[in-house]
Amino acid sequence: MKRLAKALVALMILTLAAAPAFAGKLEDIKAKGVFTAGVKDSQQPFGFVDEKTKQIVGFEIDIMQYIADKLGVKLALKPVTSSTRIGMLTQGDVDIVAATMTHKKDREGQVDFSITYFMTGQRLLVKKDGPIKSVKDLAGKKVGSVKGSTSEQNVKKAEPTTTVVSFETYPEAFLALKQGKVEAVTTDEAILVGIKYADDKPEAWDIVGDYISPEPYGLGVVENDSKYRDFINLTLMEMWESGAYKKIYDKWFGKDTKNYIPLTWTMELWP
Amino acid sequence: MAYQFDFGLVVSGEYGDWILQGLAITLKISAISIVLALVMGTLLCILRITKVKPLVWIAWTYTEFFRNTPLLVQIFFWYFGSYSVLPDGVNRWLNAQDFEFSCGVIALSFYTAAFIAEDLRSGIFAIPKTQLEASRACGLSFMQAMGYVILPQAFRIIVPPLVSQFLNLIKNSSLVMTIGVMDLTYMARQIESHTFHGFEAFTVSTLIYLSISLIVSFSIQQYNLRVLRTATR
Repeated sequence: MKRLAKALVALMILTLAAAPAFAGKLEDIKAKGVFTAGVKDSQQPFGFVDEKTKQIVGFEIDIMQYIADKLGVKLALKPVTSSTRIGMLTQGDVDIVAATMTHKKDREGQVDFSITYFMTGQRLLVKKDGPIKSVKDLAGKKVGSVKGSTSEQNVKKAEPTTTVVSFETYPEAFLALKQGKVEAVTTDEAILVGIKYADDKPEAWDIVGDYISPEPYGLGVVENDSKYRDFINLTLMEMWESGAYKKIYDKWFGKDTKNYIPLTWTMELWP
Repeated sequence: MAYQFDFGLVVSGEYGDWILQGLAITLKISAISIVLALVMGTLLCILRITKVKPLVWIAWTYTEFFRNTPLLVQIFFWYFGSYSVLPDGVNRWLNAQDFEFSCGVIALSFYTAAFIAEDLRSGIFAIPKTQLEASRACGLSFMQAMGYVILPQAFRIIVPPLVSQFLNLIKNSSLVMTIGVMDLTYMARQIESHTFHGFEAFTVSTLIYLSISLIVSFSIQQYNLRVLRTATR
């Protein structure tokens, strides 16, 4: 037991010592000449590998490119997953995380968030012509979700008698829906749109129901560096005001894309 | 900038409840699977040592198949793969039940039974062959000889490897979260995703796994010591 305690203490000291010396992220990035962003590489259309060019592209990548240009440095992309993104940010492996991350109060302890740069809400993906039209229809039925998302508790709150079955990835949750193991798959609408159109027969599926919960996405930045966070926030607002945001949005979510989601929210702009 | 530790958040309130719920599921699925695996393992081993060729062959195939394929694949096989083999009505019925939990139990017990059968077989080989011959000579049937003479001794010999199998099963049970069973590991992941305090959540769940394992192995060793003392008296 004593040895175990010693090992734990040693582990903690190592973790603490591994944190880099801190001199302001903005200065850091400019000195390095590289802005390193942690992004998703399999989440259409936010961040995914383009089949032709083998490069990571997407909505979040374009936002990151804009910020890098504004900083006057090169953009470097590092793929992250829902479970690695926070560790990589606190250890300084990445300067920012842009990975479909919902801003939640409980998540404030480890990182800081930017203002909302994408607004979506949780909805249901169901079989077309099936019995499920809204979250109330899930009473006593099973609904599929994905681990690491914020969706599970929300759907439970909206319909307490539903059973949530969570999977590792979206393809598994979708397979469970196809096999009738769950009646619906629930997560952010923007992600459901991606799943639906990745299928061979997108017309067989429907996205239904009101927003079960709002899902505001925020960029993850290191704690307690307000100069850096202000810079990110002001850049986002500038994008919105200049129309650069709308341009990027239309490129990935506009009418001409298969992921069409109307732009119905407005960014919080500081006066 | 360093990681902010907050163990209080993880072990109290809503998140503390999640850990307890996960622990209950882990204990339940492990206990049911251990009992099933023990029964199946014993049956398999008996099939294996009968002299009836087809039975031996079935048991051998089973053991080699389940011992030599990854448990994770087996879990997916039972959960997703069974769909294409079973008739529609059965699928609908299964899907309406707690199919995730049942598949977890099936996967864990089928997998572990193969290992238990092998352990038990080596235990039986450790008993002099003359004992079986002597029991048969006394007029016991094969099953009676097994039940009264051979198996009780074999089980005593294999207690240490059996404990290892139990502990493996308890730890392996964390894999059932891949098909949506909300066990302890699942809950730790869940807390991580909600709070970003993964280090604490996993430290707590690791300590819980460690305690379960230590308690199980300690109590079985105690039992074993007592039995051995009575046996050698």
